[in-house]
Parts: sequence; structure tokens; C-alpha cells
Amino acid sequence: MKSPWATIARAASPFDQWVREPVDPRPLAWFRCWLGVLSLVNLWLLWPDMSMWLGDDGVLPPHVHREMVGDTRISIFMLTGYSDLAIGLICGLGLAGGLGLVLGVFPRCAAACVWLASVSYAWRNMDILHSGDNLIRIGAFFLIFARSGEALSLPRALSRRLFPQAAVDPVALYQPVPAWPQRILQLQLCILYLAAGVWKLMGPTWRNGTAVGMVLQLGEFQRFPVPEFFLTPLMSQVFTYGTLAFELGFPVLIWIPQLRLPVLVAGLAFHAGLDWVMNVQLFQWLITAYYLLWLKPSR
Amino acid sequence: MRTSRTPTLPARGPDSLVRRVFSHWQTILVVAYALAALSWTMPAILFPPKAAIDGIVKGPFLLLGLWQAWDMFSPDPRTDDICVEMRCTDLDGTIDRRMLTDMVAMGYSERWQKDRWRKYFNDHLRLDVEHRLWQPFAEYAVRRLREEGHDPVKIELVRWWRPCEPTVRPELRADLRQTPWSSYVFHRWGVPREWDR
Repeated sequence: MKSPWATIARAASPFDQWVREPVDPRPLAWFRCWLGVLSLVNLWLLWPDMSMWLGDDGVLPPHVHREMVGDTRISIFMLTGYSDLAIGLICGLGLAGGLGLVLGVFPRCAAACVWLASVSYAWRNMDILHSGDNLIRIGAFFLIFARSGEALSLPRALSRRLFPQAAVDPVALYQPVPAWPQRILQLQLCILYLAAGVWKLMGPTWRNGTAVGMVLQLGEFQRFPVPEFFLTPLMSQVFTYGTLAFELGFPVLIWIPQLRLPVLVAGLAFHAGLDWVMNVQLFQWLITAYYLLWLKPSR
Repeated sequence: MRTSRTPTLPARGPDSLVRRVFSHWQTILVVAYALAALSWTMPAILFPPKAAIDGIVKGPFLLLGLWQAWDMFSPDPRTDDICVEMRCTDLDGTIDRRMLTDMVAMGYSERWQKDRWRKYFNDHLRLDVEHRLWQPFAEYAVRRLREEGHDPVKIELVRWWRPCEPTVRPELRADLRQTPWSSYVFHRWGVPREWDR
């Protein structure tokens, strides 16, 4: 009789293979580039108000912040103490890291810079954070461990230009890389949708189909104009139940290879729609970076 | 004649178990992270082991910046339009009123750029439980106003709200709706003449 461990091991074998089998480096490189671009946009948006949010003379002076934060978190402020020097370092690291991610120059160091900058401003003022900040922090953290510079990298492109005889075979061009950081980020996306869907299911307005209609009326989220026929009880029900179906369906359907592309396209349409109607800074854009990890490049 | 292959039995014992676990570290790490993130983000009522798992992962998640929440507009979206206003009374009696988060009145790009203002003022500063933020903001405002040439003697923070209709109609959008606003001064500070000079 087989031991239960052997049965579990056999059942888990496809998952184990999925995690351990090296993968094409391009999806991670696409993710790295796009996350880099968006982290730079995020920095640009944060820049004008940085001293107000993070400075010693800002809205959250050190004595108040000290009372609010009880746990230890890695941040630049660990080195500098409460100091406006930290703001300069956040800007510098964020800028250098973002550019490094976009260009694939020392991508692990670049990811570490973006991560450190983002955990630092997150630690200093938790009350200004949005969901996009979570996606930047988590994405940059796992890029530290990923070999994301094996494709779409400026140094590699330059070396190919300078030494054209060295790499001509396109298969040799993209050597497989360890998959686990990509797998974690793919699962992260599924968890995001699952949690969002489950939390919504707990609310009466999501269950009775009025939630999206209510959100569309709120001034603070209003963005571009929407067609009048969207603002009806029927369409509110369509959008509310559609949101639930998408968020709860994504973590299941994305695993079916034949449905993967349609699910991603539906997701893009979903987030593009949200970005049009709702004034939420960068979340809809950042989530598309995680979509890139699900694409399968042609050899 | 049948030949039989003698299977090579794997070595048993703690050494082999450690080796096997070690050889699968990537899978174990991925599963552990997925479980931790799932537990962190799920409502306790639907995920019974949440308290135990969160207790273990809280330290590493906070330390490394991996904490996360995906509960926007849930369990239910807000049912009020909200604004925060800062009122400054100058020494000469003039009153300067600034709506900090009147998003509808802002242009498209300003509204987008100031999304963090909405987070800070509407989601946090406005609330009674966040009263620790009120006085520091009033002091920050005085410093900035003095830089602009004002001489404030009183700072008031005002919350504004108006309910959304439970029905959905085009004319009920925030930029068209006629529902009256309510307001309440939630923090008032008479600025001492010599403060921070």
C-alpha cells in the first residue's frame, strides 16, 4: 500500500514541475520593463507632495508617526532616522531603480532600489497608500531574486551589437531561467482577484447588484464621462455581477490554456473600463504588468 | 529468460528527507508564500486558519513590505460623497476656504495627480479615530500659509458629506446631483501668536 505522502507527492507533481522547470526569460523581462515604467510614473506623481507626506515638517511629524508605528519594517529611515535626507534618497533610489528596470541594467540591484524606495515611503506614511503601491512593492521584491535581465536588456543588446558573432541563434539568445519568482507573481495575481471577489461577495450591495451604480455616483472617484445608458439599474446589475464573475472566475479560468488569452483580453477590457470611469491612480495600469507574466512567447 | 532489474532503493532516514525537502525548496517557498498571501488577504470568517497563519507571517510580511489588501469598495462601497475643507482665519478677519479633496471640481489631470490626497484626507484625516492627525495637519497648514504671506489666527478643519441616492440615474452623478451637503467642523485651533516663529 502506498503511503499518503507518496500519493500527495504524485498529485503535486505537475505543480512541482510548473514551479521548478526553467522558463523563457521574456515574460519576466516584459514584466520588469513595464513595472519599471510604472514605478517611474508613480514616483513622478508622488514627487511634488513628497515633503508634505514624508517630511519632518509635513503632515505626519516624527512624534506622531512614532506613536502610530509599532512594528519593525525595513526602510531607508532605519539608516537616516527621521530626516528629509531620506526623501532625497527615496527619489534617487526610485529614479535609478526605475530606469534600471526599464533598461535591464543591473536589474536585481534596480529592483532592490525600487523595492527599498517603495517600502520606505510606505512605512513613513501608510495613509497615502493605494493598491498600486502594493503591486510595486511585491513585484520589485520578487524581481530581486529573478533573472529578469536575460532578455530586453540594454547591456545585452549592446554586447550583441558590439560582438555580433557571439550570439546569433535565437534559442541560445533566451536561455531558460528559474521559474519560481514568476510563479509567485502569477499566483499573487490570482490571490488578488480571489480576495477582491470574496470580500465583495460579503457585501449586500454587491449581492443585490447596486454596488457599481453607487460607485459611479460618487464624486471622489468620478473621472471621464460615461454614456447615460450605463447609469441605469439594469446596467448597474450587469456591471456588478460582471465584476464578481470576472474576479472570482479569473483565478480558475487562467489555468486553462485554451482560455488564458481570452481571460487576459477580458481582464484588459475590464481594467481599461475601470480606468476610464474611475479616478484611481495607477492600479489598473500596474495590474497589466502582472498579466504579462501569463503570456507565452513564441520561440 | 526474464531479467529483473533490481530497483535502487532511496536511502531512508532524516538525511534523505532533509535532502528531498531541500531539493524542492522552490516549490515549498511558492506554496508557503501563496498560503501566507491568501491568509493575509482573506476575511477571517471565511478562512478559519487565518489567525494562526497571520500570526506566523505578520513579522516577515511587514518587515519586507509584502503586506497587502485587495478589499477596495468592499464589503460595500461608500454611500456618501465626501470632501475635506480647511478654513483659515487671518489676523485681519478674512477667511480663506480651501476644499482639499473636491475631486469633481478639479481638472482631469489634477484629480489624477491628487489621488493620494483623497486617500489621506477622505479616508483617514476626516475620521474621528484618526484624531491624532488633526493637529499636525493644522500646524502644517499654518506653516504653509505663513509662507504664502497669510497670518492665520484660527484653523478649522471641516468635513462635508452628502448621501448618494440608492437608485441609479444619470442625473444623480456627483457633478449633477442637487442633494444638499452637510458639514461639521471637526477640528479647531486658535493659533498662538508666537507659535513656531
